[in-house]
Amino acid sequence: MKLPMSRIYPMLFFTVMCVTSLGCNVVRITLNTTLTQDDVAFIIPGQTTLADVITKLGTPDSITDSYQGVVATYRFLDMKYARVNFGWLLKPWSPVDPNLIISRTGLGVDAFELLCDSNWVVTHQSFLRHLSGPRFNPYPF
Amino acid sequence: MIVLRSLLLLMAVGLLVQGCAFSRGTLGDDIGSEAVAAIKKGTTTKAEMLALLGAPDRLLQVNGRDVFQYYRYDAKVGSLLLIIINFSRFSIKSDDLFVILNREGIVEDIILSKRTDGLEFRFWPFGE
Repeated sequence: MKLPMSRIYPMLFFTVMCVTSLGCNVVRITLNTTLTQDDVAFIIPGQTTLADVITKLGTPDSITDSYQGVVATYRFLDMKYARVNFGWLLKPWSPVDPNLIISRTGLGVDAFELLCDSNWVVTHQSFLRHLSGPRFNPYPF
Repeated sequence: MIVLRSLLLLMAVGLLVQGCAFSRGTLGDDIGSEAVAAIKKGTTTKAEMLALLGAPDRLLQVNGRDVFQYYRYDAKVGSLLLIIINFSRFSIKSDDLFVILNREGIVEDIILSKRTDGLEFRFWPFGE
């Protein structure tokens, strides 16, 4: 049975892609559901209470006291890790197990903080925004 | 011909998919809904609350009140192990219970959210 070229090219492309991505790992770790500006758009400083916020967003991860009121914090983590081991390319021809690994981790730590007065009314709100940057880029240099 | 193709496809999948893994980790006991429901605002005392839920994970002083915090973490990990590439996704969520007590030691407010109810095993690390 002879395969037509139109079928060989996709197979060849797939094989090349497989070989070039040999020994890859893609890992993602997420903590809680990330909040966006749209999710917190309903909060109006001076009017919205902490109870209103909790009704929509759930409980905060921490509540702490400050000189100006109560600080409620919602935390998120979005960690992306990509790793490529080019040593795998030499595996079939090498008596040892060679490794040539490049990897990169992007640690996105974010938090949404609310400052409430003594009556639990939100006075200030802000995101921390330490986002993880490039998406799954194993190139560390 | 169909049988041959199916066998070839099965072999290809078998060769590419080395395996998959499911892992789970939890921190703390489940926050019992019945115990939380038994706590009544304005009537339940600190001693009664401690009898129902036990000692808190954190004790805070906020806005002139004592706040007892109970938490539980749940992590689910799905891994798709292919011969040449592995995909893993760790999903971690928490359940948090805050019980606010007034100066007299009576429960003033209860705040509970269970985020772990919707936690699923995921493999695909891309997207949301």
